[in-house]
Amino acid sequence: MMWKSIVYKEWLKIRWFFVGYTLLGILGIGYLFLTVKHSFAFNGGKNTWNIVLFLGHQFFSPLKYVPLAGGLTIAIAQYFPETVNKRIKLTFHLPLGENKILLMMHAFGSISLLLSFLIFFGLFTGFSLIYFPVQMVADSLISIFPWFLAGFSAYFLVALIVLEPAWKFRLFYSLVGGFFLTIYYTSAVTAAYGPANTGLFVLTAFLSIALLFSAHRFRKGEM
Amino acid sequence: MIECNNLTHYYGRKLVYENLNFHVREGSILGLLGKNGTGKTTTINILNGFLQPRNGECLIFGENTQHLSPQTKAKIGFLIEGHIQYSFMNIRQIEKFYSGFYPNWKPAPFWELMSKLNVTPMQKISTMSCGQRSQVALGLILAQDPDLLILDDFSMGLDPGYRRLFIDYLREYAKAENKTIFTTSHIIQDMERLIDDMLVLDFNGVLAQTSVNEFMGSFKRFDFVLENDKADLKKASFVVNLDKVKNKVELYTYSSESIVKKYLDDNNIKVSNFAQVKMELEDAFIGLTGKY
Repeated sequence: MMWKSIVYKEWLKIRWFFVGYTLLGILGIGYLFLTVKHSFAFNGGKNTWNIVLFLGHQFFSPLKYVPLAGGLTIAIAQYFPETVNKRIKLTFHLPLGENKILLMMHAFGSISLLLSFLIFFGLFTGFSLIYFPVQMVADSLISIFPWFLAGFSAYFLVALIVLEPAWKFRLFYSLVGGFFLTIYYTSAVTAAYGPANTGLFVLTAFLSIALLFSAHRFRKGEM
Repeated sequence: MIECNNLTHYYGRKLVYENLNFHVREGSILGLLGKNGTGKTTTINILNGFLQPRNGECLIFGENTQHLSPQTKAKIGFLIEGHIQYSFMNIRQIEKFYSGFYPNWKPAPFWELMSKLNVTPMQKISTMSCGQRSQVALGLILAQDPDLLILDDFSMGLDPGYRRLFIDYLREYAKAENKTIFTTSHIIQDMERLIDDMLVLDFNGVLAQTSVNEFMGSFKRFDFVLENDKADLKKASFVVNLDKVKNKVELYTYSSESIVKKYLDDNNIKVSNFAQVKMELEDAFIGLTGKY
């Protein structure tokens, strides 16, 4: 019952942001493949493949910051209302372990984000396979994977920052977090992140529990 | 039910209090009184596990408040200063949300209170007045049916009507159900209607912990006019507080009229218009803590 209540509250907070972001993302992917279709129609398939394969054109580059925007949106929608008037106190007072509640909230936000990302990933893969061979699509997916990880990292970092009780720490985390996110966007070469994706995935997974530190500081009464 | 031992806390280098000890007995309504900055909200935060004291500990139902178990938290109703609740919800949603956490959830008191408000079930809490929000917060606590209620400045932002409604509803509920309440408020008249016991904090320590009846029975105010306004009364051991404007004196003490008069006679201090003045709790509070 308790987990249902938590899911209910989190859903109330993020529902319009989630729906809006997911719809915008779907429209964005639709627009992306309209431009690909346009390129096939006007430049011809051969030329388009040539530009993508040999001139390094990344037809998917408009997607670059879409997951990042999602992570920021969902995190702010979910955690900002908890910090207004220190409402997080209400959450911590619920009859569950404080860390358990936070991790349940976090899991809900992460799964929502994952759902959006899976829809985007699926649509991207499906549309790509209409226009490009499997190998090119696989390389594209390797290239966009870190961008999706960046979306999760942004979500985890914003939770850490928003729940942090002291402004100077918030500022510090923001600067470090902003710098940290650049590692997901370092190389523009298609499939260059192939060897690094596993490491980035593990790093992102570790970041997922960072908000517990801010929560611990809040409960100690740090200001 | 609540026991705090040797609490010491600082904000940076500023001492809030040192070796503060108090307890709250089961079934009582205790008001934590004190001027701004004496540590009322600090104490509430320590009790709710939102602040780690520099030294000492508080126990609720025998558990250290820094590590309250979910079972113990379920027995504590908590009102945040300003009647803060999840304002992005409407009253139907918030009742549904909280009911999932408490097996003994009693929706009837919540809906009874809501029926007194001029709000619709779909109206968001953020669009309600402060008074209406106070009733939502109170209704949720009553529905939770906790054994202990911790209320942080329940008067804040409420007009006199809502304050009266809040107090009367709360006291009737607490007495009928044998609940324990630990509360703060900066409006002492409200406390007078509500509390049985009082704990008065001053800067750095406790000025009084007693029942309101006992305090009001023993704490006295004597007004008189000095013939010689240079006379110094502050040295008298029985003086708790002294407010002197020119030759007019308000003297606060736990001692009897005869002891005060004897001191005046023994020290050859001539006075006129000597009278004991009847006090409300607010007068006595100001007398005890001073105006500044």
